[in-house]
Amino acid sequence: MSQMKMSRRKFLITSATVAGGLSLQLVPIDSMAASESGKAGGKSGSELSPWLTIHADDTVIVTVPTPEIGNGASTQQAMNIAEELECDWQYVKVEFASFSREYKQPGSYAVGLQPFFGGHSTDHDRMPYTMQLGASARERLKLAAAKRWDVPIAEIEARNSVLTHLPSGRKLRFGEVAAEAGSVELEAEPSLKPQSEWRLLGKTKPHKVQLPKVVNGSAEYGVDVTRPGMVYAALRQSPVHGGLLKSHDPEAVLSMPGVRAVVVIDPSATPGSPVDASPTFGFEGSECRSGVAVIADHYWQAKKALDALPMEWDDGLGAFWSSDEKIHERQDRVLERWAGVPLTKSGNVAAVKTAKTVEATYRTPFCEHATMEPLNGTALYTKDSLELWHSTQDMQQAFWVAVDESGIHPDHVTIHQTMVGGGFGRRVIGDDVRAVVAVARQYPDVPVKVIWSREETTQQGAYRTQLAARFRAGLNEQGMPESLEGETCFSGMALNLGFTDMAYAFSGAIPNVRLAASNLPMHIATGAYRAPCYNAHAFTVETFIDECAVAGGIDPLEYRLKLLADWDPAWSHCLKLAAERAGWGKPLPKGQGRGIAISNWPHSGEKQAGATVCAVAHVEVSQEGKLTVHSIDFTFDCGRTVNLDAVLAQLEGGIIFGLNMSLNEGLTIVDGAVVESNFDRYPMLKMADIPEINIHLEALSGHDRFAIIGEAPVGPIGPAIGNAIYQAIGKRVRSTPFRKQDLSWS
Amino acid sequence: MTTIKFTVNGQAQSLEIDPTTPLLWTLRDHLQMTGTKFGCGIGMCGACTVHLNGNATRSCLIPVQAVDGADIATIEGLSESGDHILQRLWVELNVPQCGYCQSGVLMAAADLLKRIPNPSDEEIDANISNICRCGTYPRIREGIRRAAQEMGA
Repeated sequence: MSQMKMSRRKFLITSATVAGGLSLQLVPIDSMAASESGKAGGKSGSELSPWLTIHADDTVIVTVPTPEIGNGASTQQAMNIAEELECDWQYVKVEFASFSREYKQPGSYAVGLQPFFGGHSTDHDRMPYTMQLGASARERLKLAAAKRWDVPIAEIEARNSVLTHLPSGRKLRFGEVAAEAGSVELEAEPSLKPQSEWRLLGKTKPHKVQLPKVVNGSAEYGVDVTRPGMVYAALRQSPVHGGLLKSHDPEAVLSMPGVRAVVVIDPSATPGSPVDASPTFGFEGSECRSGVAVIADHYWQAKKALDALPMEWDDGLGAFWSSDEKIHERQDRVLERWAGVPLTKSGNVAAVKTAKTVEATYRTPFCEHATMEPLNGTALYTKDSLELWHSTQDMQQAFWVAVDESGIHPDHVTIHQTMVGGGFGRRVIGDDVRAVVAVARQYPDVPVKVIWSREETTQQGAYRTQLAARFRAGLNEQGMPESLEGETCFSGMALNLGFTDMAYAFSGAIPNVRLAASNLPMHIATGAYRAPCYNAHAFTVETFIDECAVAGGIDPLEYRLKLLADWDPAWSHCLKLAAERAGWGKPLPKGQGRGIAISNWPHSGEKQAGATVCAVAHVEVSQEGKLTVHSIDFTFDCGRTVNLDAVLAQLEGGIIFGLNMSLNEGLTIVDGAVVESNFDRYPMLKMADIPEINIHLEALSGHDRFAIIGEAPVGPIGPAIGNAIYQAIGKRVRSTPFRKQDLSWS
Repeated sequence: MTTIKFTVNGQAQSLEIDPTTPLLWTLRDHLQMTGTKFGCGIGMCGACTVHLNGNATRSCLIPVQAVDGADIATIEGLSESGDHILQRLWVELNVPQCGYCQSGVLMAAADLLKRIPNPSDEEIDANISNICRCGTYPRIREGIRRAAQEMGA
């Protein structure tokens, strides 16, 4: 057993021989102490599946706590290990970690193996932990070979799953010494390779490991789980969030073919966790939504019966926020006061007297994640156990929500991670897990698969919140801002990254700044949506800066370059490169225009941090107001990349997500409920709608970081298009989606 | 309940079933063939695309009674061992992200290439109307182009 000290906390790497192979564990020292002293929760490492196993046939099994939502997070974890292990990539397989790992071994996730969807799975801080596992296994294999050959370990090279004794040329496969390697003792953990010696990271671009199963239909998503004797449930929850089921008539449907039961989902009936729970994000937002479910032999029978089930709802307080107009009116009333809590402040905006003031209010609507896999889950509840199969984005959150809603002791709760058919933040908080358990708990001893229809998925979302933002800037004689005031107003969690830390407030170019936020609590459920609020903030900030440029009589590219002149130079590089490649400044016919925008997630207010992303859109608007996006030129700086193709895939997808969001997406609230229910009224871009997308690599700074990249590209797309529309037709668009704006001109 | 007979991937099936059950749910719940996905239930997203008598068809809108005697092919039957040229290229080009929609996309693309071996961009646009929320459209296009090239070569 050898001890390794990492920056955050100490943990041990322990090895064992398992079934003719080598297995390694990362064990937090805190957990060892807890285990030794007999504290609750502390379990010995041997009960848990290893993080890394090398079998006699050379297969390498990497256990990951990051669900696979499509961004390749699990593949990346495996790549990090393989880099140091020096194994052949084709032998690597990925398995999902146990959901109860952190409960059984407190501190497991704190050592760089975070329990969720991998937004940060490729983050620099996390890499050393997984890489050390690979390095430790490699050294143990080398030591085992050295012992077998009776040669110094320094004469052995490990490469492509083969150990070579360099002087003699003798070779052993990893698998041939894996069992012996399980019992060798390292004097010290090896140090990690310098990046210059990496062979896999930054050099190769492997596809996601799960793809062979995806393309032949055998990959198992949550909704695909099939258990012996399984029954199906269809559910409906209060159309007005927070409302209550007033009445329903089970007798009307119980005699329909295949129908077994009608159960009520009652938020007040949650049993509660029998022990202290530690969900990643707390339980707020995961509560049951009052509703009813029909359980039947087959889903179609359950759905037909649900459609025939008479039910009445009490809309409760939700009825107050009856329409978008009402919400807008309240937001305006708040913003008119300029009284929000200042979160970023410099100088004194009140003392500034300038020649010109620019002032405007912007809005972004509620948006639904629309994951292609509708919400669902399968659970088998008995009086003393719960087994759940689920496509969650966050194992730790799902585990504790399941414990809380079942009331079963965590020792007897087992959850199986499935593939995830899209996440974007929707499958984080666990309200879906809770509803599944609430239904299954009332139909015990039989596995129940609960499936939300697309309509139910859409109307029972946890949306990107509806946001209003008001800005005011005082421009000096040269047209540059002397002061900048901004305030946002929205419901839900205080998600201000990208607004209160906007680079313009930190670059030193604007001497007087006051940025504030106000909360307007309402009943509609909200949550993260491919970054929490960031893409809404990017739209309001980048549209306002564009308006300041126009008011100041300065080219919008030039304006941003001036504002960011003393900032992280990568921002300017991104701006210049995107503009140059898009032909910025070249004349266009009337009705066409180019617009630019830049943003960063999640570290807008820091230099050389996060992913900086910039887009130039080239649009055309017909006189009738039909908008066409011809092209997007896109530049970015996330420091460096470990898998360029994985980064490009995220950028392509993020750009298209941003296009859809700004062109198409916006839910309508009528009588307190969401009107849209399916893709006929909540349209998605298709193949024919996708503009030319040019992603340019040359603004990558090479700075020593591998910033997360999945969320960032969504941000600048909407404002770049909106700013291009202004250049094309002179109309300033201050809200999304653009398809709902009048863009006609003459 | 009615007896419905049809073949799926060459195998004869006979089911006692509510005849209004959509083909999608027949495949998924009654035959445990879950490669064909449920996305919207209104024929818009294409995740449920199968080949019905050789033509790409959205299975969520077709009641099983309408396929009595028909020949169905699903993603599980697109190739013997997952090596259809599109499947191979989908992996090589890292096309799928979450992958949920790709069964349907692959079935639509396979049908397109069978009818139009070397489709133009406009023909790809007109024939691939599936929704992919992850935004893999540029790679889907590239995959179809490459397949057409390799098949023509």
